[in-house]
Amino acid sequence: MRIVIALFLSLALASPAFAGLNVVATLPWIGSLAKEIGKERISVTTLVKPTQDPHLVDAKPSMLVAGRKADIFMYNGLDLEIGYLPIILESSKNPKIAPGKPGNLDCSRFVRVIEKHAAVDRSMGDVHPLGNPHYHYSPGNVLRVAEGISNALADLDRANAGFYRANFRDFAAKVNERQKGWHAANLKGKRFVAYHKLFEYLAQEYGFQLVGYVESKPGIPPSAAHVEKLIAEMKSNKPDGILTTSYFGRKESESISAKTGVKVIVLPPDVGSMKDTDDWLAFMDRVLAALR
Amino acid sequence: MKQLLSLLSMALICSLSVPASGQATAEERLNILENSLKSQAIIIEEQQRAMGALKDEIEKQRNSQARQPGEEESPSSSKVSGFFGGSILTNPNISLSLDAFVYGSSLNDSELEGRGIPGFTTLGKDARNGFNMGAAEDGAELFIFAPVDPYFNLYVNLPFSDEGVVLEEAYAVSTALPEGFQVKLGKFKSNVSRINAQHPHAWDFFDIALPYRAFLGNEGSGGEKGMQLTWLPSLPFYTQLGAELLQGENDLLFGAPARSGPHAFSVFVKSSFETTEDSTLYFGPSVLFGKTRNSSIVADAEVDGRSALYGMEAFWKWKPSSRESVTLQSEYLFLTQRGDVTDLVTETEESWRRHQDGLYLQGIYQLGRWRFGARYDVLELFADTFERAGVQQDLGATPWRATGSMEYNPSEFTRIRLQYNHDRTARNGRSNDEAILQFVFGIGAHAAHNF
Repeated sequence: MRIVIALFLSLALASPAFAGLNVVATLPWIGSLAKEIGKERISVTTLVKPTQDPHLVDAKPSMLVAGRKADIFMYNGLDLEIGYLPIILESSKNPKIAPGKPGNLDCSRFVRVIEKHAAVDRSMGDVHPLGNPHYHYSPGNVLRVAEGISNALADLDRANAGFYRANFRDFAAKVNERQKGWHAANLKGKRFVAYHKLFEYLAQEYGFQLVGYVESKPGIPPSAAHVEKLIAEMKSNKPDGILTTSYFGRKESESISAKTGVKVIVLPPDVGSMKDTDDWLAFMDRVLAALR
Repeated sequence: MKQLLSLLSMALICSLSVPASGQATAEERLNILENSLKSQAIIIEEQQRAMGALKDEIEKQRNSQARQPGEEESPSSSKVSGFFGGSILTNPNISLSLDAFVYGSSLNDSELEGRGIPGFTTLGKDARNGFNMGAAEDGAELFIFAPVDPYFNLYVNLPFSDEGVVLEEAYAVSTALPEGFQVKLGKFKSNVSRINAQHPHAWDFFDIALPYRAFLGNEGSGGEKGMQLTWLPSLPFYTQLGAELLQGENDLLFGAPARSGPHAFSVFVKSSFETTEDSTLYFGPSVLFGKTRNSSIVADAEVDGRSALYGMEAFWKWKPSSRESVTLQSEYLFLTQRGDVTDLVTETEESWRRHQDGLYLQGIYQLGRWRFGARYDVLELFADTFERAGVQQDLGATPWRATGSMEYNPSEFTRIRLQYNHDRTARNGRSNDEAILQFVFGIGAHAAHNF
């Protein structure tokens, strides 16, 4: 027994020490922002794969291994990760990332949240009472989050504070530059049907309307009656497209498209989920290009 | 302030050194000058640091303007308030799960009540033909949890049955210990083996695996008063080590009358690594040992002695997408028990020795909102020693059970399960063919899922 413990101790002490901050992010886009700000001076681990639905991820022991070593843990918040976040925060036994500590960064803190529900119950489906959590489609909010990340990294790593803040300024300049191109897509007044309530921030930012949803209720797969009603509506009001993501709701959307003649527009749900979406800027390029 | 102090101390050193300087050697003077230089260097360093912080503060303000010129400060956390506009902190997280089922068996209710497993337990089955509430007699379970302060989280689990409410679990978990240590204290289900700490509404099947029922009871060890220490060393792969000191009140493996003071202990290791991108293997050995004194093992007799229950768990999950997953799970439990047994009728005492084991294998396939499960349980696979007064008892055929189940989960909060068991645990007695239609509902706060 003593030998086993000694072995574990020596392994624990021998684990490679990377000098920079150890950043753990739940979602790929958060990891991507952290990399924009920290560049090579931090190491970033992302827990959820871009091909996973962030609502339905199962906690895995490897997530606790990452959480155990984190200097700062960044997450989307607004209950999006409710199924796995609490267990990671408690069971990785790392006081640095406990709620209330500087190493616990709820990115939604910096966000102007839309669709906050005063009265909500689960008969409405998987509604997020704290507001729509899919704010990574909103450049304004993402900039606020990036600023929050740069402040948090600067607070934890004073020596590199200037570096983080300068990188944020570069990133902000790039975003403001690209925004011109994104707004040039001119989506004002367009009307779309969406599979899930995923694109509300996008609609708000670029001025298009979401006129219907394929899901009967958020998180509840469409019923036949609901689809029938939606098809009838779509035949009369002729929306400009059905918005869906590469692997969630695509089949259902395509079958509705076949019946209504309204085209399916496949958008990436997160950074890295489709070709040419390697960082957040490329991801937004791809989103706007698809909507154009 | 610090700078002021160091300035003062420097002045003090200088003034003290002046009168002595007359007789001081060159070496002493050099020392004094060196010290004074050092203090100045500290002051310079501190002032530089202060300047850096100020520069950073200015930059921080500039950055908020760089984000989007003319926009006001980012909003702070959303305002949420509780009753009467007061703090939401007055309410902890509360959730309730309800477990209702219809049960049909080839046996009648009195046969079910008396249906133990000969050589393992005299405790009968909880379910009765017809409508029932709760797989382990807990129709409704109330969970309350919240952080206590920055140092502890608190969890309480109160199952309600027809007879009332019991304090099944109530424990605090530390959140601020360094180096991956964590303490749990209060009353809790032991984390040895895989199923033991799971709540009945979270089980993969309607009932607990047979080795658990045979060695620990219908709901595993149940809540035990005590303390647990776990350690998650910082390794490249997941390994958790744990040890528990428990009161030992489980009335099959231990028993409250065994001895005053804590008389049960456990040690466990849990490890995991990813077998592929989409699959994870989870495994670990455990042992739960202590003093035993109860009359639940053989009818009309009290066993008094020592027990050790060794376990090995293995769990593999493949989940290529949120829509589809396969889990395979198996556990092997091995019991050693020795002491003496007193016949409660004749009051004769004999020596007592058991070496028995049990195994289960199960698989679950999930597709969308459907789950399909199969399970095989068997006892006395390799070890079947059961001796009274040094004589092996003939208990009859090996107990086993086969299970098939089908679930439909319309949402994360409702589970509808149909299960069938072919139960041959009565050895040479009649088999029990049982069918269960079970409904499990959850409302309130979203409790995190364990892996």
